Amino acid sequence: MTETAIEAAGLGMRFGRRGKPALDGCAFRIPAGGVCAVVGPNGAGKSTLLSLAAGLTRPTAGALTVLGRSPAEVRARVGYVAQDKPLYPQLTVAETLRWGRELNPGRWDDKVAERTVAEGDLDPEGKIRTLSGGQRTRVALALALGKRPELLLLDEPMADLDPLARHQLTGTLMADAAEHGTTVVMSSHVVAELEGSCDHLLLLGAGRVRLAGPLDDLLAAHRLVTGRADASLDPHTVVEARTTGRGLTALIRPEGPRDPAWQETVPTLEELVLAHLRAPQAPVLRLDDVQEAAV
Amino acid sequence: MIEYRIDRRSGVATYVQIVQQTKQALRLGLLEPGDKLPTAREVVEATAINPNTVLKAYRELEREGLVEARRGLGTFVRRGLNTAPADSPLRAELDAWAVRAREAGLDRDDVDALFTSVLDTHFKGDPS
Amino acid sequence: MTAVTLETTAAADRRRGPRGLLWATLRVHRSALWFWVMLMAVGAGVLLWAYGPGADAAWAEYRSRGCLDGRPSLGCDMGGPAAERYQSATALAGGLIGLVPFLAAAWAGAALVGRELESGTARLAWTQSVSPARWLAAKLAVPAALLVAGMAVLTLLHRLVWTSDSSLRTTIGAADWHQSPAYEANGTLATAYALLGLAVGALAGLLARRALPALGTAVLALGALMIVVGDLRPHLWPVRTLTGDEYPEWTGMVVDDGALTSTGARVSDPICVDDARCLAEHDIVGYYRDFHPASHFWPLQLVETGIVLALAALAVLVSFRLLNRRTARAV
Repeated sequence: MTETAIEAAGLGMRFGRRGKPALDGCAFRIPAGGVCAVVGPNGAGKSTLLSLAAGLTRPTAGALTVLGRSPAEVRARVGYVAQDKPLYPQLTVAETLRWGRELNPGRWDDKVAERTVAEGDLDPEGKIRTLSGGQRTRVALALALGKRPELLLLDEPMADLDPLARHQLTGTLMADAAEHGTTVVMSSHVVAELEGSCDHLLLLGAGRVRLAGPLDDLLAAHRLVTGRADASLDPHTVVEARTTGRGLTALIRPEGPRDPAWQETVPTLEELVLAHLRAPQAPVLRLDDVQEAAV
Repeated sequence: MIEYRIDRRSGVATYVQIVQQTKQALRLGLLEPGDKLPTAREVVEATAINPNTVLKAYRELEREGLVEARRGLGTFVRRGLNTAPADSPLRAELDAWAVRAREAGLDRDDVDALFTSVLDTHFKGDPS
Repeated sequence: MTAVTLETTAAADRRRGPRGLLWATLRVHRSALWFWVMLMAVGAGVLLWAYGPGADAAWAEYRSRGCLDGRPSLGCDMGGPAAERYQSATALAGGLIGLVPFLAAAWAGAALVGRELESGTARLAWTQSVSPARWLAAKLAVPAALLVAGMAVLTLLHRLVWTSDSSLRTTIGAADWHQSPAYEANGTLATAYALLGLAVGALAGLLARRALPALGTAVLALGALMIVVGDLRPHLWPVRTLTGDEYPEWTGMVVDDGALTSTGARVSDPICVDDARCLAEHDIVGYYRDFHPASHFWPLQLVETGIVLALAALAVLVSFRLLNRRTARAV
């Protein structure tokens, strides 16, 4: 069994007394050593989840362990990049890295941080306030990588970036994961940018877990089938079915043999995610259970 | 050194693309025994794909005996793929055949379809 | 061997100057630090000028008008340009010292805490190897140390000017010992209020989580606290009472005065002046005045300082509790 990066049980988070909970009874397990995508529409609770894992806020219900401990105990071992990439505008790039070194005594790696900045062709003496969105993201990432985290939490890291910057930064991120074995957990509402880089998926919808598990296993557990509209989909679990004229297209979780007349393919990540987002009542599928993983 | 090009829209699993491109390079003689494959870090930095995907592809190549991992040094090509090198008689024949097909008025898609159907007839059931 | 030497020099190099949270706090708030240094320089400069050339010129002017020769004229009561300059200088320095608590509150609310929460840089700091509590501790301790150091210098200089030029002050009729801002600037209160400003500002920043609302809240809250504590001020130490047939002379900080009846009861003065019938009608036999003499300066200062520091400590405690309740804490 692999080690666990983040584990949640009955996790709930409610802002204010009355409001709708941002997270509600979430249970999942993200293994260490991989790249996990936290996917969901805006308002699904992705940012809330990541900020809980970073020890920035406290859950109002349930428990969350990070690297086997409480989030506050592992502050030094976890990197976090917030969605809006906050940095001090009055500092230069070099001073920002010095700031990171001063606040991470004993962990900071100048080489990693400086290389991350250098790959973006940034002037170390340039003020943060003069940087573009992509350059800011790079500095924020350098700050997070410089502390040599065992777990890196990234909230919508690539939003507002042009395709080139997106590709370069994902490359930087994956290279760090390859070299140091860093576990990466990144949220996104753009599924396309995750395809290829992630090996684990956590799909959230309206504060609840919809899908959780290794990406390959989740994809393999589903089939995209097309057939005649009058065909019965029993006994399979139907995530979403749409009929157009005489035709039927459905995303199912096969339970046993299928009608050979159907055309079927394994869905792509995007097809899997979109079908689940369009069908909020589809049953939850978790393939990340400790018990199941051990089998 | 080989550079991988990942096509996310192809529908072919990413690790399979790496395996196929490595084999293609071995067939064309772009990679020879003793050559070093790029490290996982180098591959993912250039392609922005998951490091585990690269490792999975390399394990697959290792399993087929094409490459070997040497601890702390990297992954090296063990043997080439014994197919026709670029200047072999077989290639010359195919070359001549392509010229004739073009003269007969076939366009690229026609040739492609014809070629695929012949391959399907002769290599049915073989592992790719 | 060379490598070892190089490494140690590099390590020694890095150890020079402030480090860790101290460096981070000073660097992030560098412009505020410069502003504080500048303010101190202006305050100290003005006070030193008043102590030396300012006072000398005022005396010279007074002497040249013959006011010291026992031939007083109307001009001696007015004060010439040099005396006015001297007075403006001391008033400016006193005003500057009195302004510091409000500046501290506004800055702490807006820049020190409010803006960091608003822009998310506080969260950035908490995701380094620094807990929110340590972050807030540094945010409070570093400015507090600088405030105390600066205010100590200004207060001592203010006292220097005040004590050395007391005869000049009485001659040109400047403020009494118990009047603001000299009262605060001559003792520990100026520093205590500056610290209260810092604490109230930080708390306002944590509550408002945005720079501008925090600034407003902090300044208003500090002002309100100052008014409340200021109202208490005369009652912080037992008063001394003078009685007599006539109103006792004005002296020191007057707390209460009025008329006395034959039974010794205190009543408000019916303002009969010399009207005997009126006095008899109201049964007025004398007058009293409760006051603090100048010797009560330190007891009054210290009690009020204690109250102000207790309020500041309370604000700090609430700030930490608030922060701990919001963020994850190590068990």
